[in-house]
Amino acid sequence: MTFDRASWGRLAPSAASLVAGLALWEIVGQATSAAFMAPLSGTLVRLVELTQSGVLVPEVLSSAGLFLTGMALALLVGAPVGLLLARARVLREALDLYIMLLYATPMVALIPFILSLMGFGFGPKVLVVFLFAVFPILYNTVEGARSIRPELIEVARSFRSSEWALWREVMVPYTLPFAMTGVRQAIGRGLVGMVAAEFFLSATGLGQIIMTASQNFDTGAMFAAILIIGVFGVALTRLGRAVENRFARWRN
Amino acid sequence: MSAVVAGGVESARPRSPALNPRLVAGLAILLLWEATARLFAPAYVARPTGVAMALPHVLADPAFLRAAGLTLAAVAEGVAIAIVLGTALGLAMGRSLVAGRALRLWVNSFNALPMIVVLPLFSLWFGYTGSARLATVVFAAIFSILLNVADGASTVPSGYIEVARSFRARGWSIVAEIVVPAATPYILAGIRLAAGRALIGAVVAEFFTAIPGLGYYILYNSRTFHHNDAFVAVLLLAGFGAGFDALVAQGTRRLLPWYRRDEARE
Repeated sequence: MTFDRASWGRLAPSAASLVAGLALWEIVGQATSAAFMAPLSGTLVRLVELTQSGVLVPEVLSSAGLFLTGMALALLVGAPVGLLLARARVLREALDLYIMLLYATPMVALIPFILSLMGFGFGPKVLVVFLFAVFPILYNTVEGARSIRPELIEVARSFRSSEWALWREVMVPYTLPFAMTGVRQAIGRGLVGMVAAEFFLSATGLGQIIMTASQNFDTGAMFAAILIIGVFGVALTRLGRAVENRFARWRN
Repeated sequence: MSAVVAGGVESARPRSPALNPRLVAGLAILLLWEATARLFAPAYVARPTGVAMALPHVLADPAFLRAAGLTLAAVAEGVAIAIVLGTALGLAMGRSLVAGRALRLWVNSFNALPMIVVLPLFSLWFGYTGSARLATVVFAAIFSILLNVADGASTVPSGYIEVARSFRARGWSIVAEIVVPAATPYILAGIRLAAGRALIGAVVAEFFTAIPGLGYYILYNSRTFHHNDAFVAVLLLAGFGAGFDALVAQGTRRLLPWYRRDEARE
């Protein structure tokens, strides 16, 4: 594989910065105690150890299960309700203020109530992820619905478009890009909800690895788990952006 | 209760039709919550009438006011630090190709990391102190400001800069007088996002480190079965989040009336 000058110029700063950052991590880690900051090498060693001892994979799967269940519920509730609000103007006017308020409310503040009412099981944790993820979807869908130009609906009506055709040809295509922005935001927030549930409700999954490691001053294992969450975060953000861009063509 | 509903509807209908469904929905939500709590939940669970009755004594409670002051001060300080650092780094990223390419990788990765994962690390580094909270707030807030400033700085119309150059403006005055004003809407959009995240950062840091503040107030009172008191703190947090959001949105409209891009980078 050969690089021409232009792509080399584009890649060189990123590559140099990546190497420099990782080297800095290694140097600082070597210079300080392992209880303060494990170096890159120590983190990778712990990553391999955790994988080989069979600790890591079940916890990753447990975290993934929690995240996916909460996100799926948020989509199953957020998208239909959002679309219903898009069409039913009275409902939208009735509820948009409250959706906006809940969208702006820091949902983490509700975690102590959920803990006290529902305890430590899987259900309350899913509820946390759901609450973090559902309001961005609802909020953006309602925003999208509000921006539908009334002329579009009037034209559809004056051509005697049926309700089904109105949904298929106007409402859904118009609101979908906005809903997808909500989905992208929901992915980021759902991930925060996942870790928050694992930290503050009952320690499971990657959150448990981080908590246990911090109690044992095992920063290597802590960084290993953070690294995995980071990789998931970057991958999911990319996915969210790709999905959003896929639908963004209609917008504006 | 039903008299209140009927009265509200009657008086609201002739004046503003937009207020009407909202009022009805709001009252319906409160009634539903009250009824559910009374019928199915233990007595300590928060309900509208309980929260309303808790409101006067919580707002007069010096411990609550101190907690609110501590949390909001930490959020303000952290957001201020994030604005200064984030704007400086964002301008560098947006105006210098090399800096942009070198930093973007790290900034995007940190931005995609759920900020809450740094809590155990920060409490190890800074102890179970206010510094851990401040560090969490800065970490939570800085990346959305940075990315928005970088976006704003890199999309300044090149015509502006050419004109400034042809009047022999130097590098710094171009940044201060052309790039920063042109990027202001992006900076504001970044701050709007950052404030919400900073608030979350402060609350989770208090949950985690058990240092005094609104988050700890909620945690303590919900554990001691004072859910109504705890919920007053949630209302304050929600009001602060929504209020700041509205303030920045209105500031953007008033200060920058030409500006229509409402959307920001998460």
